[in-house]
Amino acid sequence: NMALRELASLEKYLGLKKPNKYSTQGDKKVPVLQNNNAPPLVGLVTIACHLVKEAKRPELLGDGAEGRAVVQQWLEYRVTKLDSHTEDTKSILKDLNLYMQDKVYLAGNQLTLADVLMYYGIHSVILDLAVQEKEQYVNVARWFDHIQHHPGVRHHLPPVVVLRNRLYTSRHH
Amino acid sequence: MGFGDLKSASGLKVLNDFLSDRSYIEGFVPSQADVAVFDVLSAPPPADLCHALRWYNHIKSYQSQKNSLPGVKRPLGQYGPPGVADATSGSAPAAADDDDDDIDLFGSDEEEDTEATKLKEQRLAEYAAKKAKKPALIAKSSLLLDVKPWDDETDMAKLEECVRSIEMDGLVWGQSKLVPVGYGIKKLQISCVVEDDKVGTDILEEKITAFEDFVQSMDVAAFNKI
Repeated sequence: NMALRELASLEKYLGLKKPNKYSTQGDKKVPVLQNNNAPPLVGLVTIACHLVKEAKRPELLGDGAEGRAVVQQWLEYRVTKLDSHTEDTKSILKDLNLYMQDKVYLAGNQLTLADVLMYYGIHSVILDLAVQEKEQYVNVARWFDHIQHHPGVRHHLPPVVVLRNRLYTSRHH
Repeated sequence: MGFGDLKSASGLKVLNDFLSDRSYIEGFVPSQADVAVFDVLSAPPPADLCHALRWYNHIKSYQSQKNSLPGVKRPLGQYGPPGVADATSGSAPAAADDDDDDIDLFGSDEEEDTEATKLKEQRLAEYAAKKAKKPALIAKSSLLLDVKPWDDETDMAKLEECVRSIEMDGLVWGQSKLVPVGYGIKKLQISCVVEDDKVGTDILEEKITAFEDFVQSMDVAAFNKI
């Protein structure tokens, strides 16, 4: 189950010593975290945000009110647009490419949970992109390569080669 | 390496191209490499150089912590795309800042009059130029590597892509072929040429076996001095 593998990877990134035990519900296999005597937490984003707080890394949820809103916007995007397959992949890549033109991270100037969950979610899309497409969506490719190399982020996903061999001479005229 | 003249439009264009698929000048975290280039720019790059501008605004957000970013500032000619030289006027070798702490035991930190600084910069420029002159003879070796996958279901095309994605100064990948080793498993036999003092077989092995999802092991099948 991909969602459970993501949560396990996230726990590793956060340095949480004791991995949690998750279960799933429904035929969509939505992850569930039993929370001692409290009601269970349901859903990838809900559990991920809880893990971030458990690890005492609030900055991963955004910096300031606006930053936090942007993070939540991308977490929602992950579930409603990326995972749901309601949106055509090309238009997702186009949106993301335009958005990333002047940004290094999805929200603010530091890595947040938005980058991590979007990276997990979009990995299979990037894996299947042809070389020309990676050059066409150059900002997405740049962001993706950055996040997958960010210390501690990549655990359960194989690296995707984002070729940086474009020779300078081929662009010089 | 270098970006040409970073104080001119053409140099900024080189920087922009270089940054189109990179978040940072070097590696994947902000470092002194970014500080070295940032400090040379007198103003933000124009809006049409969107990658350079994106990088500039991002590095600016680290201004308060610039001294604690990892790495060491190096001369501009050590960053950027190959095949371009640094032509930025007045780019003194950044080594000046780091060496001060070690040498200046008897001098006073406040007493920096322009004459002394100029002389120091000139001497350091000569030293850096001397160091930059590469020896005519560089020791090289030709290696043939055997890269073994986990099983016969491993995607050998992706495995090869991963291996070829390893970029190092002094490493050039050559031809490759797939060699069957039994039970349907094929190993990747790939050749490369390395500069001996820059690339060693243990670091190559480390980097190749890091692709743990594809690579089970790596061996040096052949090693010849060129």
